[in-house]
Amino acid sequence: MQAKVEVKKRITFILLAMAAILLALNMRLAWIQFVRGDEYQQQALRNRMREVPLEAKRGAILDRNGRELAVSVSAPSVGVFPAEVKKSRQEHEIAAQLAAILGLPEDQVLRNITRNESFWWVKRKVTFEQGAQIKSLRLPGVQVVEETQRFYPNQTLAAHVLGIAGIDNQGLEGLELYYDKLLRGTPGNLVIEKDARGRDIPHARQGYIPPEDGLSLVLTIDETIQYIAERELDLLMQGPSSPKGATVIVMDPKTGDILALANRPTFDPNNFRNFPVANRRNIAVSDNYEPGSTFKIITAAAALEEGVVGLNERFYDPGYIKVGKETIKCWRTGRPHGSQSFVEAVQNSCNPVFVTVGLRMEDRRKGSFYDYIEGFGFGKVTGIDINGEAKGLLRPRDKLKQINLATISIGQGVAVTPIQLITAISAVANGGQLFQPRLVREVRDHNGQVVQRIDPAPVRQVVSKDTARQVSEILEMVVSRGTGTRAYIPGYRVGGKTGTAQKVEGGKYVAGKYVASFAGYAPVNDPRLAILVVVDEPQGIYYGGTVAAPIFKRILEDSLRYLGVPAQYNSEVKPDRDNNRVKEVLVPDVSQQAVVKAQAVIKASGLSPVVQGIGTVVADQIPKPGVRVQMGTQILLYAKEGQPSGEVVVPDLTGWRTREVATIMEALGLKMSSDGTGEAWEQDPVPGTVVKVGTTVRVLFGDGAMAEAISP
Amino acid sequence: MRLRKGPPDFLIILSTSLLLAIGIVMVFSSSAYSAMISYGDQFYFLKRQGIWTILGAMGLFSAMQLDYFLVRRYAKIFLIGAILLLLLVLVIGLESHGSRRSLGMGFLTFQPSEVIKLAMAIYLARSLSEAGDRLKDFRRGLLPRLIILGAVCGLILAQPDLGTTIAVAGTAYILLAAAGARVSHLIGLAIIGLVGVFVAIFTADYRMQRLLSFLNPYADPTDSGFQIIQSLLALGSGGLFGMGLGQGRQKLLYIPERHTDFIFAIIGEELGFIGASLVICLFLILLWRGLRVAVTAPDTYGSLLAVGLTCMIVFQAIINIGVVTGSMPITGITLPLISYGGSSLLFTLISIGLLLNISRYAGQR
Repeated sequence: MQAKVEVKKRITFILLAMAAILLALNMRLAWIQFVRGDEYQQQALRNRMREVPLEAKRGAILDRNGRELAVSVSAPSVGVFPAEVKKSRQEHEIAAQLAAILGLPEDQVLRNITRNESFWWVKRKVTFEQGAQIKSLRLPGVQVVEETQRFYPNQTLAAHVLGIAGIDNQGLEGLELYYDKLLRGTPGNLVIEKDARGRDIPHARQGYIPPEDGLSLVLTIDETIQYIAERELDLLMQGPSSPKGATVIVMDPKTGDILALANRPTFDPNNFRNFPVANRRNIAVSDNYEPGSTFKIITAAAALEEGVVGLNERFYDPGYIKVGKETIKCWRTGRPHGSQSFVEAVQNSCNPVFVTVGLRMEDRRKGSFYDYIEGFGFGKVTGIDINGEAKGLLRPRDKLKQINLATISIGQGVAVTPIQLITAISAVANGGQLFQPRLVREVRDHNGQVVQRIDPAPVRQVVSKDTARQVSEILEMVVSRGTGTRAYIPGYRVGGKTGTAQKVEGGKYVAGKYVASFAGYAPVNDPRLAILVVVDEPQGIYYGGTVAAPIFKRILEDSLRYLGVPAQYNSEVKPDRDNNRVKEVLVPDVSQQAVVKAQAVIKASGLSPVVQGIGTVVADQIPKPGVRVQMGTQILLYAKEGQPSGEVVVPDLTGWRTREVATIMEALGLKMSSDGTGEAWEQDPVPGTVVKVGTTVRVLFGDGAMAEAISP
Repeated sequence: MRLRKGPPDFLIILSTSLLLAIGIVMVFSSSAYSAMISYGDQFYFLKRQGIWTILGAMGLFSAMQLDYFLVRRYAKIFLIGAILLLLLVLVIGLESHGSRRSLGMGFLTFQPSEVIKLAMAIYLARSLSEAGDRLKDFRRGLLPRLIILGAVCGLILAQPDLGTTIAVAGTAYILLAAAGARVSHLIGLAIIGLVGVFVAIFTADYRMQRLLSFLNPYADPTDSGFQIIQSLLALGSGGLFGMGLGQGRQKLLYIPERHTDFIFAIIGEELGFIGASLVICLFLILLWRGLRVAVTAPDTYGSLLAVGLTCMIVFQAIINIGVVTGSMPITGITLPLISYGGSSLLFTLISIGLLLNISRYAGQR
C-alpha cells in the first residue's frame, strides 16, 4: 500500500521548494561572506578594538650645558570606558574600589565612571603605587594609562623663564607657552582587542601609533649663574632692605644670550597653585619702570657719538639747572659738584651736566637724541622669545618738549623694561652692536640630535666702536672711583652705573618709594657678562649704589670665577675692601664621587660644600676642579641619584676606615671586599678607574705604620 | 501483514552523524570562553552536550528498532500527553527571560514544545492518512485538524514561544500540502497564517522590535539590532575559509546566544563559507533522503510521517539560518542537531530514529 501518486507529486514539489530555499540561503551566505565580507570584517575589528590615547612626552628644557631644568616624568592616569563599566553591572563595586585607592568621594567616582561618554578620566597623574594597585584589580572598563607629568627638578630656579605647564602638559606660561608647539609633540594611541565587556583577551591584536615626543630646548640660561642670581635675590629679600620685588638679568653682551633671569617674588612651577598669581609675573620683561641714572649710559653714548661733548670738556654744576621755567636739581644739591670734566660728571652722576648734553644734542640736530634712544631699542619690544613683553613708555616725538628731553637725559619721564635696558647696555659693552636678546639657543629631538640652532641675532650698530669704548672706560671709572665703588672687584675691570629713581604712581612721584638699580658689565676690555639688578621699593637705604651694586658685584664675581675668566692685575688694583688677604686654595675634583665623601673632601680643603639636588653621587661641581678660590668659598655640589650610564669612577679610599668605605661604596653602588682592619691603604681597581655599578672593589686595610712601611 | 526489515538509509545516518560532530565541536568552540567566565569551566557546555548526545543516540536506536505501526496506535495518547505537558508548563514551568518553556529542575530540564513537535507529526501523519479524500472537504476533512492544530499552537504561543509555534504550524502546513489538501485551501490557509503572524507581531512590542530591527538593524545597533549586526559581522569575518577553528572573535561575548540560536554565525566565522555551506548541504541531503523515504514508504501513514519528521528538522534549519543571515526576523529557533540544547537534541534524534525506522521498509508493500 505505497503512497498515492498525488502524494508523491506533492512530496516532490515540497522537496524542490525547500531545496530551493536552502540554496537561496546559501547564496545569501555567499553575498554576506564574499561581497560584504571585507566591510563586515573591518567593522567587527573596529568593534573589538578599544582605543586608549597616548600622550606624547613633552620635550625637556635644558640649560646651556645640558642640565635639566624641566623634564617630563611618567605618571599613571586612571580612565574608564563607561559603557563597559555599565555593561559589567558592577559600577558600585568598581566605584567603591577606585574611591578607596584614589581617596576620592565614592559618589563622585560613580558619577564619573557611568557618564555618557566613550572615555572619561577618573583621576590623572596619580602615584605609581595607586596606578599599580588599580591595574592589578583588572576592573572591567578601567584603564591605567601611562602619562607624563612635568617636573622641575630645581623648584623655583628660573621659574619665570621656564613658566608652567598644565595637566594636559600644555604650556601655560613662560618658555613652556612660547615654545609649546615644539615641546608638545604629537599624541599617539594604543588600540587593543577586547571582549564585549572590555576585558583583555588571549592573543589580542594590538595597534600602536606611537606618540611623537616633543622637542627639547637648550637655553642660553646657565644653571649655575642662574643659581647665583637666585641666591643673591633670596639674600636680598630676606635682608634688611626687604624690598617689594627685585629682578636680575645676566646677559652675554656679545650675543644677547640671557645667562640668568630671576625675579622676586617667585614661585615653584611644580605646584604653582600654592603661590599668589602675582608671583608669576615676569617683572624682567613685563614691567615698565623709570630707569633713573642707569639711563645716563645711553645719554652719554649718544652725546659722544653725536660729538656734542668731549671727554675732558669742563662743566660747572651749581647744584641745579634751569630748563625753561622748570628747575632740575642735582641729586647732591646741598654739596654741588662744582667744576668737573665730562668724565668726572659721569662718575658723579651729575644731573645738570647730563641735562646740558641732552639738550645740546637736540640743539645740534633735532631729534638726534631720540634717534639714539630708539636705536638702542627703547619704546619697542626687544623681541625676546617669551610672552608678555612690555615695550616701555616713550613720549611720542610730536609731543616732546624741552623739559621732557631734559628729564629723559637723566632717565626720568621715560619708562623701560629691565630687558630693554640690559640689552641696550650690552650694546655699549660689546662695541655698539645691539642684539635681540634670546633664551633658547638650540632645539633638539628626543635623541639629543640638534634639530635647529638659533644664532645670535644682531639688530643694528647703534654707536661706533670708539664711542662704545669711551663710554666703557668712563663706566669703569664710575666703579673704580665714582658712585659705583661697591661694585668693584679687585683684579677685574668692571664698568657700571648706579640708578636711583623715585617711583611714579598715577603720574606723580611718590615720596619714600624708590627703585634702586645697578647696570654694568665686565671685563670692560672683553666683556663676558652684563648684569642689571633692579630692586623695587627697598626699605631704609634706597641708593642704587648701596642696595643694588653689592648684589651686582657678588653675582658678577662668582660668575666670572665660575666661567674661569682670569683676573687681570694690569689695571689699577685697589686693595680689597675687607682688607684681610685670605689664603687661596685649589678646588679638588669630587665629581662622580659619593656625596658624603665629596663633602668631607671639600671641607678638608678648607672650603664649604653646598649640596644641590637629591641623590647619592656628585654629578657636577662649581667652581670646576683646579680653580683657585679663597678659603671658605662655597663649592656647589650637584647631587644626582645613581648613575644613568651605569658607570662610576672609583674614588680614592686611602685613609678611610672600614665603616666609611662601606658607606661610600654603598652610595656609589659598588661592592666591597675588605681585608684587614684600620685605614684603607690599597685598593683595586685604582682610584679614577671607570667601572660598572656593582663592581667589587678590593680594599686592604691596615694601621698607619704598616701603610707607610709598604708605600712610602 | 508482516514486512521484512531492510537496512536503514545510510546517507541519513551519515549526514546526521556529521551534523552532530560539527555541532559538538562548535558548541565547545563557541561556548568555551563564556563558560570559563560564567562557570569557571570551559567544558561546561561541551560536557552537557556530550551527555545529551549519548542520550539522543540511545533514543535514535530505540526509535529505529520499534515497530512504527505501534507508534501509530498510540498517536492520540501521545498527543494528549504532550498537550497536558504544555498545560503543565504554563503552570509550573521554569521562568526564564519572561517566558515559561521548560519543565524539570537543575540539569534535567526539557521543553514540552519539543515533545509536541514530535507528537503533532505523528498525530497528523495518522490523521491525514486516515482522512484520505475527505481532506478535500473543508468542513469534514480540513477543519477538525485545523482546530486541533490551532489549539496546540495557541498553547505554545501562550508560553510564549513564537519560534516553536511557527515550526509546528509550518510543518503541519507542509503535511497538509503533502497529504493532498486542495490548493485553494492551502492558499487560503497561507493568507490566514500570514495575517496571524502579523497580528502576533503587532500585538507584542518585542516582536515589532524584532521586525523593525530586521528591516534596518542599524537603526538601533546597540539594542534591538545588536544580535543581527553581530551575527552578520561574524559571518562576514569568515570569508571563504574562515578564521580557523577556535579563532573566532565574535564569540567573545559579542554575539548573544552564541552556542544556541546563533551558532551558525560562529560556524561561518571560524569555518568560513566552506564550513557553513557544508552544513547547508548536509541539511539538503537530509531533506532529499528524508523525502525519498517518504516516497518509498510502504503506506501513506509512513509516507506522511517521514514528510513530517524530515520537514520538521529542515524547516527549523531554514528558519534558523534565515535569521542568522539576516534574511528574516529573529524568531528564537535553534539549529537542529548542532545548537546546544538537551531536549531539542534528544527529540530531534528520536525523530531521525523514526525516519530511519521507516526507511528500512522502503519499496515494500
